[in-house]
Amino acid sequence: MIQIFHVTKHYDRRPALTDINLQIEKGEFVLLMGPSGAGKTTLLKLLYCATSLDEGQILIQGRNVARLKSSDVPYLRRTMGVVFQDFKLLSKKSVYENVALPLLVQGLPTFETRRKVMEALKAVGVEHRKESRPTMLSAGEQQRVCIARSIVNSPIILLADEPTGNMDASLAREIVDLFKTINARGTTVLVATHNRQVIEQVGRRVITLDQGKVVSDEGRGL
Amino acid sequence: MRRLIHFVREAVANIRLNRTTTIIAVATTAFTLACFGVFLLLYLNLRAVATSLQGDFKVVVYVKDGLPPSGVSELQGLLKADPGVQALVYVSKEQALADFRAQFPDESHLLQGLGENPLPASFIVTLAPSHRSPDSVRRAAERFKSEPGADQVQYSRDWIDNLATVVGYLELAAVGIGTVLSAASVTIIASTIRLTLYARRDEIEIMRLIGATGGFIKIPYLIEGTMLGAMGSAVSLVMLKGGFELFSARLGMPGRFLGIDSGVHFFSGQVAVLIMGAGLLLGFIGSAVSVLDLGRAKP
Repeated sequence: MIQIFHVTKHYDRRPALTDINLQIEKGEFVLLMGPSGAGKTTLLKLLYCATSLDEGQILIQGRNVARLKSSDVPYLRRTMGVVFQDFKLLSKKSVYENVALPLLVQGLPTFETRRKVMEALKAVGVEHRKESRPTMLSAGEQQRVCIARSIVNSPIILLADEPTGNMDASLAREIVDLFKTINARGTTVLVATHNRQVIEQVGRRVITLDQGKVVSDEGRGL
Repeated sequence: MRRLIHFVREAVANIRLNRTTTIIAVATTAFTLACFGVFLLLYLNLRAVATSLQGDFKVVVYVKDGLPPSGVSELQGLLKADPGVQALVYVSKEQALADFRAQFPDESHLLQGLGENPLPASFIVTLAPSHRSPDSVRRAAERFKSEPGADQVQYSRDWIDNLATVVGYLELAAVGIGTVLSAASVTIIASTIRLTLYARRDEIEIMRLIGATGGFIKIPYLIEGTMLGAMGSAVSLVMLKGGFELFSARLGMPGRFLGIDSGVHFFSGQVAVLIMGAGLLLGFIGSAVSVLDLGRAKP
């Protein structure tokens, strides 16, 4: 599903990732561990083409990300769902409109959009807040809306960057449960976190990064 | 259809979001287009006057006094055969006197003391449109004068030509001023769209990340710029119409301009539509300049 070969990335000559080699299979649930500045976010950004790599190759479903034309990037992104630590919700749009955005972009008919959005909102348990603006929601609810948006178009890969970053333990547990449910439906899930509780709760493959290098890759195949 | 509604809604939302800059952009575009419109009005009206005068242009060929009717007929035949002559009207001595008395009833006593009718017979020649240039007129006048039976030839072409020259210069000025003002409008609208882009940069980033194509992101801003241009041109037309009515009423000359019956006219529907179209186009170009790089999905 995702193949990473000898990937190196620098920010102003400072190495963010150095010679990364990874393979993630379809349907896997992978946790990306490491302290702040380890390169977790950079690795995710490379996967959804938010930044460019300096060396190496990344293949997603056989498509070489480095050689992808700018005009093809949106279509690759449509096969992925991304959950951001800062949610990245549009504050002037309602919860419903935020979740519907990826479908609007793809030009889905209204009735199908409505059905899929309601399904996604129900899956994360915020269907009752569909008319609210994101600013009126708690951090946990906003994160759920962000997850709903990331799964609404049934992506084959879900990337999450510190999804439990600002949450208390019980809320973090709920969010992780959501990811497990999504993964159980066949979506490949890659979560970047430095939260030990998340790792224990998921109990699956853990890749640890430190100073831009892979220092351990445990539980492959779990 | 759903996408189109989304694009228009986004464009309207952008306009509402940046109300102050929108008002400034519309007002400035309206003023620049109105300045151009004033020139255009002046140019179109002067051109109409010049065309009208050129169409009415006549050459008077006076007949030698005492020429027998056979000589008059011969002269008429020669003039008719001239390639520059479109139409010909004979004015006899009696007709000339009657016309003089009708035109100047207070001065008719001037001719009474002279006994015999001193006014000569004449041919009023209308030249063909292809023979109305200053050189052609001069050559035709020389030809007419050399015909047997012709006495004097009279025409006053100079001031009509001067007017045509002024109209020509005005046309050049309109093109120059129009270009400068169009550039100003494009720059203003481009700046407004850039401010909108800056205000919504986070949204644009999010749209990119969820898989929106460059076109999907750009179209609302193109619509916004086009709407600003349309609003600017509509306001400029209203301003011009108001100013025109005020000008006409103040000068009290409906139906006449520079003494010509063709009168002063506001833009025809066609020209008004063209001005609206120009506003739309300027708005579109302004926004297109701003969103040129917006669609780049790759860093």
